[in-house]
Amino acid sequence: MRRIFHSLVLAAAACPALLIISAPPAGAIPVFARKYGFNCTMCHSNFPRLNDFGARYRKNGYRLPGRENEEKTVLESPTPLALRTSAGYNYDKFHNSADPAVRQFQLNGLDLVSGGLVNSDAGYIFVYTPMITGSRGVAAQDGVLEMANIVFSGLGSTWLNVRAGRFEPAYAAPSVKRQLMVSPFEIYDFTFAGGAPFSETREGVELSGYGRSGMSYAAGWLNSAGPAGATQTSSDFYARVEKVFGEGEGQTAGQRIGLTGYSGRARPDITLPPSGRRDFRRAGVDASLNYRSFNLSLQYMNGKDDKVLWGRTADLNFTGGFAELNWLPSTSLVYFARFDTVNAARSVSGDISRLTLGGRYYPADNMALHPEYSARKQKGPAGEVTENFFTVRMDYAF
Amino acid sequence: MKKIVFYCLASAGSLLLLTRGGGLSAGGGFLSNGIRPAVSVPADNPQTDAKIRLGKQLYFDKRLSADNTISCATCHAPGTGWANHGATDTGIKGQVGGRNSGSIIDSAYMKSQFWDGRAATLEAQAVGPIANPIEMGETLENVVLKLNAIPGYKAQFRDVFGTDASADAIGKAIAAFERTIISGPSPYDRYLRGETGAMPASAVRGLAVFNGKGHCSACHSGPSFSDGGFHNLGVGFEKGGFKDEGRYKMTAAAKDLGAFKTPGLRNTAQTYPYLHDGSEKTLEAVIDFYDRGGVPNGNLDRLMVPLHLTVKEKADLLSFLNSLTGPVPEIKEPELPN
Repeated sequence: MRRIFHSLVLAAAACPALLIISAPPAGAIPVFARKYGFNCTMCHSNFPRLNDFGARYRKNGYRLPGRENEEKTVLESPTPLALRTSAGYNYDKFHNSADPAVRQFQLNGLDLVSGGLVNSDAGYIFVYTPMITGSRGVAAQDGVLEMANIVFSGLGSTWLNVRAGRFEPAYAAPSVKRQLMVSPFEIYDFTFAGGAPFSETREGVELSGYGRSGMSYAAGWLNSAGPAGATQTSSDFYARVEKVFGEGEGQTAGQRIGLTGYSGRARPDITLPPSGRRDFRRAGVDASLNYRSFNLSLQYMNGKDDKVLWGRTADLNFTGGFAELNWLPSTSLVYFARFDTVNAARSVSGDISRLTLGGRYYPADNMALHPEYSARKQKGPAGEVTENFFTVRMDYAF
Repeated sequence: MKKIVFYCLASAGSLLLLTRGGGLSAGGGFLSNGIRPAVSVPADNPQTDAKIRLGKQLYFDKRLSADNTISCATCHAPGTGWANHGATDTGIKGQVGGRNSGSIIDSAYMKSQFWDGRAATLEAQAVGPIANPIEMGETLENVVLKLNAIPGYKAQFRDVFGTDASADAIGKAIAAFERTIISGPSPYDRYLRGETGAMPASAVRGLAVFNGKGHCSACHSGPSFSDGGFHNLGVGFEKGGFKDEGRYKMTAAAKDLGAFKTPGLRNTAQTYPYLHDGSEKTLEAVIDFYDRGGVPNGNLDRLMVPLHLTVKEKADLLSFLNSLTGPVPEIKEPELPN
């Protein structure tokens, strides 16, 4: 009887899912796209990667530039809810590491997304990843309010927009949350124990603005990171300026260069000798270069962390970055390749390098078949650790 | 494995139920290009057969111009998509204007009239060209005198409006006629109504480009494919300035410099050439123009970015634009009163 019940539930659930798969391209599209009747490709070169139009839409506080007076709020729009998830086969094997190997089909995560306008000058975005208990075939996921922020854009000038809440700070360029790959940006993830990697969303407030010359800026004030349970403060600051040459926003047209600086204070990890807050710094330069359907994204970053944060006798200086090449021959296909590197003292974590190759094929513009291979090497105090990762998965949002 | 499938399908199914209500079809969003509503008619100018008949005569009557050589139909002719295939219009004494004669098809749906939106209503638009020195070069006062001197017109005006001809009545009659020039169901309309074979596969793909990578529907939205707004595409920007300042002449607002009204796209395949100065002769050329991101200038609309459309995407987009052509009322030149 129970088996029959499960079968009926599966069949009932499958019917609407099959409708999604068979829907025309103008159909199943999430949150913002649904509000306007647009396709995903209005704002995404290949989702989740934004195109120039999408970048401008985001900069303008989730409002169409020049059409702010016609925008509708979430109360006047279709249900502002969407979902993104991916499922597929993962292979992850380590050498000289205690990390367990993975060779199985997995549900890779689930995001509930909402976004829109609260009123004509205030937009919001909300991303919640519900807790999923790990079990055979299902990767565990912590319940996290990944993003919840409001952006005020009607403050009299495009040079003054204010974003507050938990958000992805502008210092991560390109956006980690909109990257095509599964494999992480090593330089963004490189941090001391208890630190907040650049790849994570943060709580705070960010001012940003842009002009017609292609110049834009962002400056933020964030909560400091530190071990759980320790008293926290808000003493991290960052600033970024960027300039686009030519038309576009540097996403799919135009050439963009950016400079980023970050200054933070953090309490050392609980396992280290007790200490007050210590300084750490980051400085980076990045570029996004476009030629026809090719995009080359470059990042170089320099970091200096107080010795206590790493339990060392001397401050840690490190450098790193990445070079990523995307080829976007159409909205239904993208190829990507990226080389990541981090050069740090071997006594801490050593030199890291990662090579990632893959692509995404979109049978519909809100659904991607995603194969990816990534090889990582880390020369640390315990020798060389290698990782070989392969995944093929369906990534979809609706 | 079964658990994975269950989670995926259950979440997909439940979210679909949440999202389906919002309207996912091409007619769903507030800017989307759905089925057209009925034409809105102003309360002070209701449609009547007699008024439409009078308006039709006035529309074709060259006596509304100073030298009796130009009528509305000269530049907005039924045989040329209710537009003119010249780059810009030619008025009395061979004078050449600076703007393309836009089609009057579906002008009844427009929020404002003329490329710069200087007329808020069809009634106001209808009398504008009469007094334009380059177009019809006549004064409204003189036209009123001329019409009232023609017994056939005088009787009709009295029948329709209860008064002799006046500038107000001339505008109302012509506007009433123009409100009948609506294109019928196009292949796109039939597609929207569920006739999936009405558009070729290329046009269906083109619809996706139109609503996506092509960014067309960001401005060409609504049932007549116009947001009614004014946008700077950089058309006519040369040597650091605009030959025609467009909407700026009406508002003196910096944001309107070089901005022109978004034209509708109904029957656009018939209304060549394109853009406010008629500078692009074909739809293919217009698509290429947008693909380049317009012409850079200090006031270029921020909705304009280079598109990087592929050859196939351009062809599909063209196919979709061609599918917007529906039948329009067959109008023959009427006999005019003497």
